[in-house]
Amino acid sequence: MIIPITLPRSSSSAPSLPPALAKLGSSEVVLLELQGSLEVEGDRAGQAVGTLTFPEDNNAKPTLLIGHHLLEGKLVTLQKPLAVLHRAVLRTNPTSHNDEHGEGMRYDMLAIVRRKIVFSKRPMPVVNAAAVKAGMEKGEEEGKRKKVKVG
Amino acid sequence: MSEIEVIFSPSTEDSGTFKLLELPPDLLKLVEAAVEGNSSLALSVKGGLEEDAVLCTDEKTYTMRSVVLSNSVLVVTPPQTEEGQVDRIAIRDQLHDVIELVPSLPKLHKLKGILRGAEYDEGHEDEEMDDEDIPAESSPMRRKFTYADALQLQASEGELRRGLRDMRILNVGGRLRPISPSFLNTILELILNHLVSESVPHNAVPVDQLCLALEEHEIRRTVTLQVLAWFGVIRGPSWEMNVDEVLKQVALGILRPHKDEPVSEDEFLAQWKRAVSDTFEAQVSLTLLEGNYLSTTLPNRFPALPALLYFPSSSLPIDPAARFTDLFLTRSRWKAQDIAPYLADIAVDSKERDKLLLKYARAMTDAEGVWYITRNKI
Repeated sequence: MIIPITLPRSSSSAPSLPPALAKLGSSEVVLLELQGSLEVEGDRAGQAVGTLTFPEDNNAKPTLLIGHHLLEGKLVTLQKPLAVLHRAVLRTNPTSHNDEHGEGMRYDMLAIVRRKIVFSKRPMPVVNAAAVKAGMEKGEEEGKRKKVKVG
Repeated sequence: MSEIEVIFSPSTEDSGTFKLLELPPDLLKLVEAAVEGNSSLALSVKGGLEEDAVLCTDEKTYTMRSVVLSNSVLVVTPPQTEEGQVDRIAIRDQLHDVIELVPSLPKLHKLKGILRGAEYDEGHEDEEMDDEDIPAESSPMRRKFTYADALQLQASEGELRRGLRDMRILNVGGRLRPISPSFLNTILELILNHLVSESVPHNAVPVDQLCLALEEHEIRRTVTLQVLAWFGVIRGPSWEMNVDEVLKQVALGILRPHKDEPVSEDEFLAQWKRAVSDTFEAQVSLTLLEGNYLSTTLPNRFPALPALLYFPSSSLPIDPAARFTDLFLTRSRWKAQDIAPYLADIAVDSKERDKLLLKYARAMTDAEGVWYITRNKI
């Protein structure tokens, strides 16, 4: 069987990522790498995960706040760029087992990703997320120190 | 400082639909050029249920290997449902592996088995005849195997075209049929005769005239044209002959019967020169036949007389271990330059070939230089 892969279109009308993330090279996709994985009980569709904070200053670190856990990340340039492929949704008869034979299957290459954000450290516990938020708004340096209260 | 809200994708169907594909530098260049619109590129994954999938570009084939990551990678995109949400992103999928691509050889060796019995031979050109002999339903393998069927094989289209040429497979009315070696040699001899009798230069042969001449021998124009393309380049109305390729094929025709009975080297060269006429006599050289013959000596002769045995690498198994077993059964030891031609079609490049030699053979040095012997049983 043959499964075609379509290439990304250079100009796309699809919604694009926030500018801070689009700066990483692709306006379509960004890759976040976690040590461990996200475990969710129940229906996860559309649920909030957390807040990704992305500093304008390139030297500062991006952070991901999930509940009371704060992860500090860093930008990593990939040794070999990754093509992000997405299986296309084709209008085929769901009762026929077309998928098994690959008929009518197609993958779309959404983008080529050259950098990823890696959150490799252990999460730091945060007592009051709101206080952290407020602290961050006050100022870079001060916010940084204030936002993490080890409990 | 920008804060971005991260949510799970509102669609539950996203999970498992994403793949990450590592792009080697050469493929990356092709994809980039195609995205910028500078060139076109067709990418596809090929493979049957029993096969490991490969990725094919227009010219190359890569084996796909899944590499498991200890970390998990979140694929994050703008949310698909809401428009104009600038500070929101959605996790579409969580992955634990990436696909690595390793350049590999096209898997065309199956063709030989598939096309067995479909040979195109002198006197049997009429394909309908074959089909009447054997009822179609009695043997599914007798089904007409077409070019479109061959595209399903694990090879890029460029490699398939080259493979069909190298394996001397004709496309007759859509059906793929290997030409019989003796018939091919007949055609080449007719072409060489034509060059001599009409005294046309071999680098500018009028195609029309040649086709007409061969039609007198009941060789169809479509066959002639394909043979001409295998053994040279057709530019407009004229054909430039690839002298080395023609000489090689003619020699193989002479050597083929000598699989078990060696032929004396002098006799063989004399026969070869006679067959190709005076014009090309000077270009006759055994190096053209690398990977097709073994040097030996005639039995029961003194002093020893150099002789040749027909031993084509195309008749050897594709699997490296089996190939080496066969080679070492034929010869207990090999010189590096002698064994190399027999590994060319199972290794992507010389680096890969040396890896195979390291794995399956043992190097041994004596007064005559380096020999390779088997790793097994010693």
